[in-house]
Amino acid sequence: MRKSHPVRRAVLATAATVSGIVLLLSLKPASDPGSAAAAGGSVPPAAAGSPQGGARPVGDGTVTGDAARTQYGAVQVRLTVSGGRITKAEAVRAPAGGQSDRITSNAVPRLNRAVVTAQGADIDAVSGATYTSTGYKQSLQSALDKARAAGDSGAPGSSGPAGSSGSSGSSGSSGESGGSGESGGSGGSGSGEAGGERAARTVTGDAAQTRYGPVQARITVNGGRITRAEAVQAPRGGQSDRITSDAVPKLNRAAVAGGNADIDAVSGATYTSAGYKQSLQSALDRAGG
Amino acid sequence: MTTTLAGGRAARRQTMRRIRPRRSPAVPLLLAVAAGAAAVLWLWWSSTASIADTTGRIVAAGRITGLLAGYLMALVVLQMARVPALERRVGSDRVARWHAMSGRYTVCLVLAHVFLIMWGYARQAGRSLGGIVQQTVTSVTTLPDMGKAAAGTGLLFLIALLSVGGIRRRLPYDAWYHVHLLTYAAVYLTFWHQITTGNEFAVEPAAKTFWYGLYGTVTVLVLWYRIITPVRLNLRHRMRVEAVVEETPGIVSVLIRGRRLHRMGAEAGQFFRWRFLAPGMRFSSHPYSLSAAPRPDMLRITVKAIGDHSSRLRELEPGTRVWAEGPYGALTAQRRSRGKVLLVAGGVGITPMRALFETLPGASGDITLLYRANSTQDLALWGELAGIADERGARLMYAVNSPGGERPDISAESLRRKIPDIDRHDVFLCGPPGFARSVYEALRGAGVPARRIHHESFEM
Repeated sequence: MRKSHPVRRAVLATAATVSGIVLLLSLKPASDPGSAAAAGGSVPPAAAGSPQGGARPVGDGTVTGDAARTQYGAVQVRLTVSGGRITKAEAVRAPAGGQSDRITSNAVPRLNRAVVTAQGADIDAVSGATYTSTGYKQSLQSALDKARAAGDSGAPGSSGPAGSSGSSGSSGSSGESGGSGESGGSGGSGSGEAGGERAARTVTGDAAQTRYGPVQARITVNGGRITRAEAVQAPRGGQSDRITSDAVPKLNRAAVAGGNADIDAVSGATYTSAGYKQSLQSALDRAGG
Repeated sequence: MTTTLAGGRAARRQTMRRIRPRRSPAVPLLLAVAAGAAAVLWLWWSSTASIADTTGRIVAAGRITGLLAGYLMALVVLQMARVPALERRVGSDRVARWHAMSGRYTVCLVLAHVFLIMWGYARQAGRSLGGIVQQTVTSVTTLPDMGKAAAGTGLLFLIALLSVGGIRRRLPYDAWYHVHLLTYAAVYLTFWHQITTGNEFAVEPAAKTFWYGLYGTVTVLVLWYRIITPVRLNLRHRMRVEAVVEETPGIVSVLIRGRRLHRMGAEAGQFFRWRFLAPGMRFSSHPYSLSAAPRPDMLRITVKAIGDHSSRLRELEPGTRVWAEGPYGALTAQRRSRGKVLLVAGGVGITPMRALFETLPGASGDITLLYRANSTQDLALWGELAGIADERGARLMYAVNSPGGERPDISAESLRRKIPDIDRHDVFLCGPPGFARSVYEALRGAGVPARRIHHESFEM
């Protein structure tokens, strides 16, 4: 039955909440992404965790890294490993909302490709997507660690060569220079000579998820050239039908003309284009190009 | 049905031994709530590595307000789950005030959350402050579960608007109440976007488990205590109106018969929420105190005809089925810490006091009842009270307006004059808000410590 002072109480609650939030925000370090990755710390540095740290994963199957925190949201990488090689990298989580959508749709496919090419965590950050790249590499490293751990327990024999090929402790940025030479080597040995000698064959890329639906590209390769490109899956429904029917033929033509995944996005169909390019790249990777 | 009490010192000692005041668990509960809020803030802290710039700060503030709102939303619902520990130990009135207060605060947090997040995203997308609307449309249409969240938030704001004092008073209670029930839908709709788009829950699987646990527990408690418990209670006790008695002009008692009513565990001073299954009354339930100690076969409520609902009580036919939920309320004997007790009743506030007057353990002279009414004709239940006073050796006093309409003098001085050892009493107080407030001030002035003034008030 104490006297209530509604106005005083409202003012106090507002002041306490606002000052509490301001205090929390000001206590958080306003640091650069590099040190942010170090401080974010859900992923222990690879070198510290595994003395046999090599750049290549050895366990087969799919492995998902720990989610890494970034300024704009979580990034989580999933790798598909087959025969000791990374055959596919994808981000199951990436920052979304606002500007992040655009940045993610631009950066993540590139990062995915870079992982498959480099066969390791030593990939360059995508400019304009520093935070996402840092988080991506962090989650990637954790996926690689897991894959290696699975390989160690499952097939002890294979850990020898993987371990001996290099001990790049890729914590933060220090490992990048050490690891790059050897990972380039392994990438080359796997796919270098595959392209030219084959006869015409059809390769379907992985379906790339876009916010409007999956996009999946299929290419026919003959004599090392793309002779035909088509989309076996593309966004449908509502506005998407119109955009798809407009953009997909253009993208198909561009793929045949360009011979690779470095094609321009169709304006007004940014997401579909990004998904198409991602799937196209994966098809090209499979075809050995 | 009254207890026979032995007089003398032995009886007093016996009584004193039974007086073990149960402290209200309010303070430990509030500490637990604060600890939960700290855990939620820690969740944000640990999942945020650093903040880059102003945009980052805006988004971070949006996330903090969002997390806190999500946490408090669960508690706001929990406060209305009719959990016995809250209703009977803390007191229904106090919990209802907490609910209103935390509800207002949570709605403000939701408002801040929506604004800050959309402003932050708009800045990330290179839009100006005016681009918030466009950003909101984009986010709602593209992000997972955001359509649901937007609908839920809209509903929540509508409910909040209708609960604003001035608007609420203009609405019929039943309409307001049924709109208020939509809060459950709003909470359900807004829950999912927290899990699917909440950064902290993506990063921290344990946080997701904690969140599911929090909302799951609240859901189970609401289902149990708001639905299953009342259904079981009413199936077991099968209550019906026995008779309606006019006590004084405008005040009626309703006698309710049922089976094994003592098994409900109701105490003197408590109330039930009553729903009479008669035409035009079945859709609203109202809290009325028991005006007599519960008997195994009979309960009694006494009601002043002030509202639409209470005026219709006198037309109730015997045999009408009754749906009751309760018992609720903490204004019971367990609040008492002293041997001597003063009960103060204003008008129809006599109902719980009448039940306590009859049942509070105490020797002759320990219990005093002060009854305030406009005139002696308005002293409902006076005959009964006089009988109880005679039987127990309790003191019964009344204060009414003088024939000229002057109010009686209830002040610190008059109270001390009438009850010289008033500062050694526990005081139970029930009456209209203005009366309760002035008596409270007088009691404090007469030297009764605040912790020994037990009062129930349903004003917000």
